[in-house]
Amino acid sequence: MVQPPEVALALEPSAPVHLSIPALGVESDLLHTGLREDGTLDVPPGDDGSPASWYDGSSTPGSAGPAILLGHVNSLTDASGVFYRLRDLVPGDRVSVTRQDGRTAVFEVYRNESFVKAEFPTQDVYFPVPGSELRLITCDGYVKEARRYDDNRVVFAKLVETV
Amino acid sequence: MTKRLFPKLRILRIDPLRVRPGLGEMPLEASLMNKKILLFSPALALGLVALSAGPAMADHASGSYGTSLDAINNSGASGEVWVEVDGTMATVTLNASGLAETFNGSPYPHVQHIHVGAQGTCPDMSADTNGDGIISTTEGAPFYGGIGTTLSLGDAGKGPETGVDLTVAPSGSTTQYKETFELNQETQDALEAGTAVVVVHGLDPATQPEAGTSSPSDLVPELPLAATSPALCGSLDVMPAGGAATGVTTAETTGGSDMGMLALGGVLAAAAVGGGALLVRRSATAGR
Repeated sequence: MVQPPEVALALEPSAPVHLSIPALGVESDLLHTGLREDGTLDVPPGDDGSPASWYDGSSTPGSAGPAILLGHVNSLTDASGVFYRLRDLVPGDRVSVTRQDGRTAVFEVYRNESFVKAEFPTQDVYFPVPGSELRLITCDGYVKEARRYDDNRVVFAKLVETV
Repeated sequence: MTKRLFPKLRILRIDPLRVRPGLGEMPLEASLMNKKILLFSPALALGLVALSAGPAMADHASGSYGTSLDAINNSGASGEVWVEVDGTMATVTLNASGLAETFNGSPYPHVQHIHVGAQGTCPDMSADTNGDGIISTTEGAPFYGGIGTTLSLGDAGKGPETGVDLTVAPSGSTTQYKETFELNQETQDALEAGTAVVVVHGLDPATQPEAGTSSPSDLVPELPLAATSPALCGSLDVMPAGGAATGVTTAETTGGSDMGMLALGGVLAAAAVGGGALLVRRSATAGR
């Protein structure tokens, strides 16, 4: 049986350290965040220049299963958070994550979609897929009058190379 | 809750065996003790309320759970499972591949369960206590526990009673299972406690040591040991609820969470008072 690259290339688990998205000029160290009391994902601080984070209950990037990375779309002081331009990623764009073990996992975007938060497709996004995959999550759907974000944008990517 | 509850009761020198059978029927000669518990431990009072209010807590496992399934007994299989719980209803999606394909010329039936009530882990070869080279279902039980739910097909019962019914099990080397059903209390409790483990059974005897064919199954003695021994195992993890608050908004950053804490504190205080009233009332009734 021929395995797809995201299965065949998968590495042993090792915590992520740094994220690069060349197409967006994003370079960010990765915080480790968990779940809140209410079971939702905790997020990085809202300060200007706040880095992205890895949800520490998800797979480590490059190992089997979906690794979940979170980043703000904006900051307390301006419109640009680390994932401000996530919507611009298109299939084929590459995303790299370096890990504590020195390895780098390179992923290729295959899907970029926005979902209403109230109807977030939990199973679609977090399903324990057999291969090594990445989910980049930020906010979307800003409602100016209410000063809130009604949507989540999710970028789906698969492991294509390990360095 | 019970794990935290009983040690505290022991400290208070109440015989835990007397208290254990459903706190609704607490031994009432101990009513004075109960009042002491109330006075000294609001947290304990909360615990008692939680246990006695069974039906109101029935949907406490609501949420999503998932895990990859890893091969045990060198089955060479792999899989994934997702359990979506809404109230007391569960939708279970289980994909498996690389399982044993045929048994006596027919598609190989693979009974599959959510095991509950033990450590919530999958066994390694150290579980093979009789040293025959195969982890039997029984030998794995100290790790994953007994059957809480049978992941049977269609309308077949979903409790332990259909646990070894091969006629309602998915079959063949690749299975794609999806069923929605009412989840029993034991399984809901295990999901919440993080002790629910999915196990898929049925090994190809050709890939197993001699005992797989020559020894009888520990579950169905008419079958060989390999037929019912575990092939896949995965401990269910809670998945994040919905999306993420990845937009910074003023509402979120101007003390919103402090307000939340205050509100929660108020609810807890009210619950403690309510629990106290309930216990005192019980004690009074029982004293008659």
